[in-house]
Amino acid sequence: MKINKRILKSIKALPPFPATIQKVMALANDPDSSLTELVAVIRFDQAITANILRICNSSYFGLRRPVDNVNDAIMHMGKKNVLRAVMASGLSRYFRTAKGYDVKGGELWEHAVAVALMAQICAARISRPDDSRLFTAAVLHDIGKVVLGEFVHESWRKIQELVESKKHSYLDAEEEVIGVNHAELGGEIALIWKFPDEILKAIAFHHRPDLLADGDAVSWIVYLANQLCHMMGIGVGTDALAYRAVGDVAGRFQLKQRDLEDMMAQLHGSLQGARELVSIVSEQKESGRG
Amino acid sequence: MADLVVGISDLKVSSNPADCMVTYALGSCIAVAVYDPAAKVGGLLHYMLPDSTLDAAKAKETPAMFADTGIPLLFKSCYKMGADKKRMVVKVAGGASILDESNFFRIGQKNIMAMRKLFWSNNVLIDAEDTGKNFNRTVRIDLGTGKFYIKRAGGQMEEL
Repeated sequence: MKINKRILKSIKALPPFPATIQKVMALANDPDSSLTELVAVIRFDQAITANILRICNSSYFGLRRPVDNVNDAIMHMGKKNVLRAVMASGLSRYFRTAKGYDVKGGELWEHAVAVALMAQICAARISRPDDSRLFTAAVLHDIGKVVLGEFVHESWRKIQELVESKKHSYLDAEEEVIGVNHAELGGEIALIWKFPDEILKAIAFHHRPDLLADGDAVSWIVYLANQLCHMMGIGVGTDALAYRAVGDVAGRFQLKQRDLEDMMAQLHGSLQGARELVSIVSEQKESGRG
Repeated sequence: MADLVVGISDLKVSSNPADCMVTYALGSCIAVAVYDPAAKVGGLLHYMLPDSTLDAAKAKETPAMFADTGIPLLFKSCYKMGADKKRMVVKVAGGASILDESNFFRIGQKNIMAMRKLFWSNNVLIDAEDTGKNFNRTVRIDLGTGKFYIKRAGGQMEEL
């Protein structure tokens, strides 16, 4: 991997990882944390508070009377949904554009949410407890695209030629033409943001979990969820299906082809219920700030 | 001119010549596009999975999710608007796959097979087809002209 100076400059120019999200992630991983602590952290972030109230008051939760404070919102939504809403409102800001992949900002975010939901569906299918690290890794798996997109855009034709004629995967083509692929670059960003190792690896190897010697389940679940969302065409660009299947995910998780189909059918329903999470990006754009 | 967007597991039919129907980002999913030039009725289906026995409740709620419930519903919906099976032009696209030597992810191929089997047993001929391989497609029908268009990821819109 050789990251050139311009790319390094771009990743250093990314906004710092939101402090509120970092605190919330820590609380989410701590089984002893209380709702009071969660409220205390969230309350100080106005943008996140506003988003939580909006999501809580959406038709998805079907409340009779609108909720106007974080405390009540958490009572109604439950801790798990609040965590998702916090992550979504804090992280969606990074996914506004990914020039080069021919995918709009809103679609890139939709893909992020879809992979996160699919990761939870996969976790349930293989009877693995749902944890917030999986959700974080899945939401952020393509964060490298946000930076690499600019460089993919410049070398678009070369990458496309390699993908079309030489049977390169998109990942290999990025690496050959630009020197680094979007997954590895995502890992570099996760390093700057001081993410736990498990999340960093799941991001950096989300197309190649087979390269991880200590292949952790989180990496494989993110890989599988992402492949399925690519196949379904959810929020993907020119790179859509130009990725390689690796390793034996079927054997590892004891999954049959029919399980894949069932998970795809389930995701279709989950996405309908998650419209509010998905719409966060486009609405921020319309109001011209965020 | 209104663009009717057909989402995943969705179908639309129309007899309004001002309409265009379009479905985006077909990966392993398949678009079945039909048009009766005499009745000027067109329809577009974007199904995701081959076989509704996977989940009977889902098939009932969202028949356009599966080949074996979505395709019959597409044809029946067109008949209701005056289309006739003998005149209907049928064009299909999608069913792509990722690069996969293990064949574990071959839902695209299964979607193609399910469609062929269904058309074969119902004496429906496919007039044009762009299926398989490993890229995304967008399909559009213009109900004013009865023309079908296809765009492959990174390419131009072409007539199908």
